[in-house]
Order: sequence, then C-alpha cells, then structure tokens
Amino acid sequence: MESPLDARETRWRRRLDLAAALPPDCSLLSFTLRMPAPLRLGGEYDRAAGEWFDELRGFLAREGLLVLSYEFRVSADGPEGFCAVRGDGNDVKRRAVAFEETHPCGALVDVDVTCPDGSAPGRRELGLPPRRCVVCGGEAVPCVRGRAHAAEELRSAVERIAERGEARCKDANEEAIPRLAMGRNVPYTESADDPDPCDGAKPLDETASLCASVGRCARAAVLFEAAAAPKPGLVTPISNGAHTDMDYFSFLASAAALAPFWERFVRLGVSFAPRARAEERGNAECPPPDASALFPLLREEGVRAERAMFSATGGVNTHKGLIFSLGLLCAASGTLLSEGADFSPEACAGRGAEIVHGIVERDFADAEKKKPSERTAGERLYIAEGVTGIRGEAERGFPAVVTTALPCLKKLLSDGAALNDALAETLLLLMTAAEDTNILARGGREGERSVRQAARNAFALGGMRTEEGVRAVREMEALFSSRRLSPGGAADLLAVTVFLHLMETSGARKAVRPAYRP
Amino acid sequence: MNGVKNSVAGSLESSDVLVTVGPAEGEENKLDVESIVFKQFGARIRSVAEEVVVASGLRGVAVRIQDRGALECTLRARLETALERALKA
Repeated sequence: MESPLDARETRWRRRLDLAAALPPDCSLLSFTLRMPAPLRLGGEYDRAAGEWFDELRGFLAREGLLVLSYEFRVSADGPEGFCAVRGDGNDVKRRAVAFEETHPCGALVDVDVTCPDGSAPGRRELGLPPRRCVVCGGEAVPCVRGRAHAAEELRSAVERIAERGEARCKDANEEAIPRLAMGRNVPYTESADDPDPCDGAKPLDETASLCASVGRCARAAVLFEAAAAPKPGLVTPISNGAHTDMDYFSFLASAAALAPFWERFVRLGVSFAPRARAEERGNAECPPPDASALFPLLREEGVRAERAMFSATGGVNTHKGLIFSLGLLCAASGTLLSEGADFSPEACAGRGAEIVHGIVERDFADAEKKKPSERTAGERLYIAEGVTGIRGEAERGFPAVVTTALPCLKKLLSDGAALNDALAETLLLLMTAAEDTNILARGGREGERSVRQAARNAFALGGMRTEEGVRAVREMEALFSSRRLSPGGAADLLAVTVFLHLMETSGARKAVRPAYRP
Repeated sequence: MNGVKNSVAGSLESSDVLVTVGPAEGEENKLDVESIVFKQFGARIRSVAEEVVVASGLRGVAVRIQDRGALECTLRARLETALERALKA
C-alpha cells in the first residue's frame, strides 16, 4: 500500500509530466482537498471532492476557458484531480483563486496551476491575498505549519464549511423549483421566507444559478400549460382537442427535448448584456449595441430547439411558436439579470420587444419575396390581412399577457383558485385578447369570431368558478373539436403568462450581483 | 567520495517540502533552507534538518530544502527519504 507521502510525490511527478506535455499557451490545474490528513484520507469527502472538481471545470468553462482534458481519482493522499485548459498561467491562476474564494466550499480545496515550463504562479506573485485559515481567518500557512489549532477545532471548522456549502448548493438547485398545487384551493406561490441561497456568503457563480432558475421557470411553464385542462381545441392529458396528429405525450416529449434550451436562451441574454456594458465603457462616443443585435443569436438557437422538438415528436409542431416567445423572454430575463436590474414582467416583456424590434416589417418583407407555396400560415395571413400574430404581440411587449392574462392569473390564484382552474380560465381570456393565427389559418375570420365569442361568453359566465361557466367551456370543447379549431397561439401565451408569474414569484427575480474578483 | 548521488524527495505542493540531496564540495555538510514561513520556522527547519543529516551518519552532503509549509513529521520523512535515495541511487 502506497503511503500518503509517496502518493503526493507520484502526484507531483504526474503534475510536472502533464504540464510539460501541454502546448505553450496552456496550463494545468491540480485540485486537492485542503484539510487535515485524517479528514482528507477518511473517504467521507471523496464524493464531495468529485462534485467540487466538476464544479471547478464548470466554473472554468463559464469563465471562457477551454477545458482540454481532465482526470480525477482518489489516491492514498486523498481525492485529486487534474484539468488542462487553454490559457496563460497567470490568468488561469487568477481564476483558480476566484474559485477558491467564491465557491461555497472553496476554502476546502487547493487549486494550483502549473505552466508547461514547470513554473507555478502563486498568489503572492500575482499580488493576491494569501489563503486564510479555516479556523481563525488568519494567514493559513503558519497556522497549519505550527499546528496552531487543535484537531477537533479543525474538524468542526471543515464540517461547518462543507455543510453550509452543501446546503447552499442544494438551495441553489431547488430554490426555484415550482411547487405544483395538486388539490383545489392550494395557493400557488413561492414563499417569501425561502432562504436566500447566497445569503451572507460570496456566491460561486450567482449568474449560473440564476440562469438555471430562469430555465426551471420556463420548463415548468411549458409543462403547466400542457397539463392544464380543459383547454378547448387543445391537447390536454384527457383530450386531444382538435388534433389527430398529436397527444399529451407528444407535448411531454417535446417539453423534455426543449428542457435544456431555455437556459441557453437565458445565457445568450446574459452574455450579451456585459458585452453591451463593456462597449459602453470603452467608448463613450459609441452608443451601446441595441438589444435587437441579440436577435440573430436567438434565432440560431431557436432553429436548434425546433430541430430537437421535431425529432422528439416525429415531425409534429407542438411548440414552435412557444420556442419563439419563451426563448425570447428567457433571453430578455438574462439581459435584465446580468445588468443588475430587478425582474418584473413588464421589464422582461419590454426588453423582449426591444430585442425583436422591427421583426414584423423585416420578416414579412422577406415573406413577400417567397413563393406563395413556401410561406408559413402566419406569413400568408399577414400578406392577405395584415395579421401580425405572435411577432406583433412580441414587438408590442406582449400586451395580451402583461396587461390582461397575468393580472387575471394572479387574481384567480390569490382568490384561492386551484392552479389548473386558474390556468384554464386565463386561457379563455387570452382567446379573447390576442389574434390567434392558428385559428385564423384553419377557421378564417369567421372561425376566429366564434372562438372569441365563445371564450368571452364562458369567461363572463364565471369561467371555471361557476357551473354555467364550466358548462360553456365543455360546449367550446365540442365545438372546437368538431370544427378543428385549435387556439395554439393563446396556449403559447398562457405558457408565457405562467413563466412571467413563476419568475415574479421565484428566487430568479433577483439581480445578479457582480461575482467576487480578487 | 562518500558515494552520495543526486536525489530528490517530496514536492512543491502546499504543506509539502522538496528536498534535494547531492554531494558537497569537501567533508562539510551544506544546508540550504528556503521556506514560505522562514520568518517563523526557518530556524526550526534548519535544526531538524541538521539532526536528520547527523543521524544518517553521512558527511559531505549538500541538502537543499524548498519548504511550502510542511509539517515537521513531513519534513523529517522527506529528508530521510532523500538521504536514503542519495545512497541507493
């Protein structure tokens, strides 16, 4: 059995060998646990160390460093990892220090950097503060070398950091998972008492956890919309509505395929906003790029999302419109959060409008050049009747959602309606409030009129809150199914409404504070 | 000649020490100590090193210590290993 001291020598040689084999513009990070041997070797932190190492790699990637290769193992000296990245040693060391200082458990890890020439930039050479003792907060090396603190004291300090860090990571993962109100009269809100996952400590990467929160709100919104029933003409868990080519499982498959995309839209927004700020700073003469410069990036991501959707549903369009609206609002949230602005539905929808500014004119000018057979339903409707559809709704800042549907949903929930019923009723309102190109394409003006009329009638009768209202909704279901009318546009706006509501009531609304940089 | 070859033990990781041993010029032992905590522990490191070298019975060795805050038990072990290797090499 190798001794810990032998294992450390082996690691040291491997570190030099790995670094020497790297191209000159690369650096090697080595990762070890920073705690007394009995704790480091006891196995109890092996799993956590693996997770922290994964988080280190994630951190480096988010910092824009290309991770070339990595390895992780538990040696006789405890857990150890290596990670090769493209980047100058001093720069990489600064980021490694940022990780040590900002990760919730960063105090328990050592991240060293070795250059291909064998040199190892240290904190001191870079003018960075020395590492702190986990017990007294003083300079660490003399404390460790002189065994300044009793073993028991060290153990409890390490345990405290690990526990607190774990809790913080757990909170960050769960903070905005919406709790579904199963029964009737269970108010759907996020508690204001939920602990702030970043409370009192320097967050690892608050931006990352906020992006994840926004993504979770979007995923939940997609699922909630699909699950709500009754939705006349639309697919629900118990009805295929006016559809023959898709069912509830098509929507679940599509939601699963789209799940990772929402966060990517958020990140596009986040990464766009700091660029805008930097350009502003660098040249006061030059106005910052306006938000519409973000749109081409979103469209590219949107095309990838559509491809994922079609492959999950076997070519059926379940969420194409929603990818546009919700992707846009995810990105809008990203720009707001990274600018340090607090989230509000109005600000989010307003930013969305800025991002798509001019889209109606642009897209439909392109459509007019296409052959009639190549035009989409929305394009044909615009050319024939000037209907701007979801593009117009987005360009105006989603007025049907912000001024009509969202207040309605909030009111219903605060009055104690079950989430499902509140959603079904809000959908009725959306059918009356926005032009739905899905309806217009299939039922024409006449179909659209009857949808609006039926929805207005059911809503006036009390929606899901009265027997008459529910009966009217049931009649709508029969009518829409027989006439093949499917208010897909209203359904998309319902998901958007849910998203804005979840954002407003979840931890994702907080502005990003600048991450600690030494 | 005392049969001492060049050898190393340890590492430059934090809380470790890299000990390099080789033949010295002449019979005197030569000791070179460098430490990130020299101010607090330089004298102690030197006396531990002298003690270990004397106990080995070797003469005419040059010992270079690059200390990164190693515990005393680590320092002793690294010194002993480096001296052993210097004889075996």
